[in-house]
Amino acid sequence: MTLTLTNVSFKIGDQEILRDLSFTVKPGECLALVGPSGCGKSTTLRLIAGLDRPTSGSIYLGQDNVTDIAPDKRRVGMVFQSYALYPHLSVAGNLELGLRIRGITKSLRIRKVQEVLQRVQLSDRASLRPAQLSGGQRQRVALARALLRDPKVYLLDEPMSNLDAQLREELRPELKHLILKEQKPVVYVTHDQHEAMAMADQIAVLRDGRLEQLASPTMLYQKPESLFVARFIGRPQINLIPKDDGTTIGIRPESLRLDSVGIPCRLIEREWLGSHQLWLLDSQHGHLRITLPADAEPNETLHVSWNTNEQHCFNTDTGKRRS
Amino acid sequence: MNRFRSLWIAILLSWSLGPLLWQLYTSFSSDQALLEPLTSLDHRWTLTHYRSILNGEPPFWKYLVNSLIVSVFSTLLTLVLAFPAAYAITRLGKKIARTLSAGLVLAALFPFVLLFLALLEFARTFNLGNHLLALCMPYAALSQPLAILILAAAIRDLPTELEDAARLEGFSLWQRVRWILLPLLGPAITSTGILVFLFCWNEYPIALTWISDSELLTLPVAIARIAGSSVYSVPYGAYAAATVLAAIPLMILVIIFQKSIVSGLTSGAVKS
Repeated sequence: MTLTLTNVSFKIGDQEILRDLSFTVKPGECLALVGPSGCGKSTTLRLIAGLDRPTSGSIYLGQDNVTDIAPDKRRVGMVFQSYALYPHLSVAGNLELGLRIRGITKSLRIRKVQEVLQRVQLSDRASLRPAQLSGGQRQRVALARALLRDPKVYLLDEPMSNLDAQLREELRPELKHLILKEQKPVVYVTHDQHEAMAMADQIAVLRDGRLEQLASPTMLYQKPESLFVARFIGRPQINLIPKDDGTTIGIRPESLRLDSVGIPCRLIEREWLGSHQLWLLDSQHGHLRITLPADAEPNETLHVSWNTNEQHCFNTDTGKRRS
Repeated sequence: MNRFRSLWIAILLSWSLGPLLWQLYTSFSSDQALLEPLTSLDHRWTLTHYRSILNGEPPFWKYLVNSLIVSVFSTLLTLVLAFPAAYAITRLGKKIARTLSAGLVLAALFPFVLLFLALLEFARTFNLGNHLLALCMPYAALSQPLAILILAAAIRDLPTELEDAARLEGFSLWQRVRWILLPLLGPAITSTGILVFLFCWNEYPIALTWISDSELLTLPVAIARIAGSSVYSVPYGAYAAATVLAAIPLMILVIIFQKSIVSGLTSGAVKS
């Protein structure tokens, strides 16, 4: 069942939180919403879930307009950033309560809970309280709860942000495996662009409540539509060189190369990144970042240049892509 | 440092427990022993006072039951009314909620004794005098502000995402209250209930004016009657015995709910 948002806007008083957001997520597809904090990505999830009502625009699940349907009737499975597990219930209790509310018989409830616990590998934790679990385990309980809802769409609000970097990397494929094989649309909110690139088929970059660009991770990296997207996606950050003719040239650090001619530079900082290294250079255009092989050594005089078909041109005033 | 602290605790304890112990002592002392405290007597200790009030007409346990009925029902009524109000306040817009809370604080600070004449008039008009359960009305009404404020603070402490998660799972409002809010608010509800219970147990002016039938008196009024029963003497012993008996149910209550009273009263003090 496809999830579609058409021209969804949301205001609190006079404050515009979201403006004219439209996108489509097909079954089995994952859309990541990224952007700086306050850009409206969590609000978008709340609107899809029905916890807030859009000021204008519509939300469709398949052919059904669900804009005015109450959250308890909408059948969405959501994993909250805080996980929002019921603290007074055991893991099994947390999972069972919703089934009980929905009128499922006791024997079936027990079977379903056991099944899902096995799927998220928490069978041995069934009787513990959420407070006795680690962050990763809590996340899996929250996920199991969403799975048990048998939802039409999955909404994940920064599900990894409470975990440490190593665990995040370990859990990413696991999460992908568990959720995506359900063949339901998935909307994934994150502020971590690595996570977005790893999880998503499409990435929507939001800025101040507006959709800045919606594209596949590759396209977003290779063809950013605006300066904002170019800066937001890709680490180390893209180099931006303003020109006199009102354009700004963007070159990714890996597209720069050391040369005998080109922009003269001075090395001010070196960072080892393991397989390669990052140099911070000072030039007439300000600081430039360049990634180089791990064994590269600086010469007396440094010049950098780049292949012009690897550069991105933006209008300096509007921030929009030129070519 | 430690010795100083225990000394300090001993001073505070004797300060607050002293009068109670004195009352206990008085209730078991014969009248003669009370009048001549230092002389040696054959009959210093006695149960006469307890016997006399328990065999009075009506017997004293009748007042205990009366107070228990009034206090229990008032407390239940208060909680039933205050909980939805508190929930509503936390879910309203910030501006309205702040105005309402300010109004509630004012109402909670209002000296209710000033209302008793108006309440008496009210009882007369609607024929509520000498009905035990009619007292629940003013008691529950007067307890509302404090109860709503405490419960609202406790509800505000719960993360709203818990309720959001429950809504997405298909819980109706009533199901969220039953399965999520009530279990999590247990301590706050208990401590609010005990505060209300204490108020009802101790309330005097309204009970005095609404109830005149000696079969239906509540404890404070009954005890005052014992104290003023004779023109020529003050029955210290009987009075003390009545106070001791009246305090016992409260002590039992507090001992049972000790833990949740403390955690309820301090909820909101620290974020977990």
